[in-house]
Amino acid sequence: MTRKYAYFPGCSAKATCRELDTSTQAVAGLFDIELTELENPGCTGAREFRAVSEMLHLTANGRILAQAERLGCDLVAVCDTCLLNLTETNHRLKTDAAARDAVNRALASEHLAFKGERAVKHFLWVLTEDLGEEALRARVVRPLRGLKVAPFYGCHIQRPSTAYGATPPDQAPALDRLCRLLGAEVVQYEGANKCCGFHVIGAEEKIAVRMSGGHLGNAKTNGAQCIVTPCPLCHTVFDAYQPSIEREFQRAYQVPVLHVSQLAGLAFGLSAADVSLSRHVVGCDSILAHIGGSGSPAAAAAE
Amino acid sequence: MSPSSKPTTEPDKVRVRLYRFDPATDQAPRYESYEVPYTPRMRIMDVLDHVHETLAVDFGYRWLCGTKKCGTCAVNVNGTPKLACWDAAEPEMTIEPLSNLPLVRDLVTSRDPFEASLASLSPMLVRKAEYAGFPEPLSAQDMAPTAHLRDCIQCLACQSVCPVLRQPDSGFAGPALLVALSELAQDPRDGADRARLADEVAQVFKCVSCYECERVCPTEIPIVSEAIEPLKRLAHSAGRSAGARRTRAFLDVVKARGYANAALVALKTNGFSLHGLRLALRLLPRGKLNLADAFLKRSPPGAAAIRKTYESNGQSSENPE
Repeated sequence: MTRKYAYFPGCSAKATCRELDTSTQAVAGLFDIELTELENPGCTGAREFRAVSEMLHLTANGRILAQAERLGCDLVAVCDTCLLNLTETNHRLKTDAAARDAVNRALASEHLAFKGERAVKHFLWVLTEDLGEEALRARVVRPLRGLKVAPFYGCHIQRPSTAYGATPPDQAPALDRLCRLLGAEVVQYEGANKCCGFHVIGAEEKIAVRMSGGHLGNAKTNGAQCIVTPCPLCHTVFDAYQPSIEREFQRAYQVPVLHVSQLAGLAFGLSAADVSLSRHVVGCDSILAHIGGSGSPAAAAAE
Repeated sequence: MSPSSKPTTEPDKVRVRLYRFDPATDQAPRYESYEVPYTPRMRIMDVLDHVHETLAVDFGYRWLCGTKKCGTCAVNVNGTPKLACWDAAEPEMTIEPLSNLPLVRDLVTSRDPFEASLASLSPMLVRKAEYAGFPEPLSAQDMAPTAHLRDCIQCLACQSVCPVLRQPDSGFAGPALLVALSELAQDPRDGADRARLADEVAQVFKCVSCYECERVCPTEIPIVSEAIEPLKRLAHSAGRSAGARRTRAFLDVVKARGYANAALVALKTNGFSLHGLRLALRLLPRGKLNLADAFLKRSPPGAAAIRKTYESNGQSSENPE
């Protein structure tokens, strides 16, 4: 059965982190998931729309939600910050009739309307919840045996609790569980649930570099061979700014940073090229060497 | 919490590890362990009282009201800030002072830096006009935006977990001070230049939006959306900080194109710089900078429709009600 979703890649996955788009589509293809990319969806406004104008925030996000509803599908995001903006707007417009009417008046010129019929999901949750862990486990052809992975969640996939509810204390978070079922070893370290500092890095680089450098150092000290994150903004800080972090802390890290769909894709048998692993600032050769080269999983399995 | 997840039996004792350190006399911090008899509905503070009254008379901790009003008893319990007077005792507790604040002794942290920063923000109503006399023409609607902010008891739990405040010399005021400033900034009677105070003194644009402050707030204030974002709204158009410039740059780029372009936002924020060039040269070979998109494709398809939709609602910064 084909699972169909409306797909909002966001600005990072279409530019700075195009490898996120490539690998997400590649993994979706393995599971008969159809991601229909929205046409000219615009922007969720990062942290800026919501700060300067509540109506701009609700309209921009309501427009994206209405586009997904027109396709008749749940909406999939691959960026933590987009996910939060869309999740909060979806909830607000479902429960606040005055806000919904105001947004729908603005959307009328494009013959769009928010009705409140669809859910917003991160692609990580499509994997772990919609497909389920059994289906994922069955697809692992190149287990990431012995690979020490440090999950980095990012803030906006888990906070605030008004958007996501309180974390169930007796349940390991989704990304930890995914890493384990892919065969990897989850590195416990201080910082996995903390902030990378992305939202000030364009103006206050030193603050962000020092914040993320602390987490990166903890991950490295605890043996991490790579970081994996569901957020392209966190990815940009840890990967693109890693040379800046190294300079600030006077320490060589060289920790590759993978998107969730890249790490999962490798375990599901996709090649390094399939998940676009060469588009990183910090090279991923050490990961490929560990899991058995960039060749076919059959060769890796024969080892 | 569902009934099934409640413990079926209550513990008969509480094991507590207490942080002990007097910077005036001790070489290094130490932990002392105590067992305290459990009493029904026991609070963290009851445990501390028992230790102080019967086991370690020289042990330092602080509280005044005991009823979630004064904000002086917040401590770290198993790594998370809690109000000792309000949160339940747990069977095993490591209790430490709030982190990231100067230590006085044992669990007592200094409020001096916080009070000094507060004083720099004109933390009183600065009236636009002379006081009109009682009753003041002030409606519930006028006060609604700050209703939650007035729940703040300044316990400093938020300040202790703020990752920006942990950076040396960040210049950032921190969430508790921004709550205090925002309450005044949104008060219709106030006439002080709160936009300048927010941008230049409190440096609100250094907030990373991580929501750690909301996670630990004992009075559940939506600090980011109801205190910090209204201050950014007030300060972004005239603000002189790099953060205010970046906010304007982001809005300009997205309104013109329908989406963000990292290179354009960076150029509009900081202008051309060697530092920016170095970063660009790092990203270009990896295909992470789309310069053709930034400089050649002036009007991306669909941008006009997006702009029109945004602008039909975007100019109003008020609530939709």
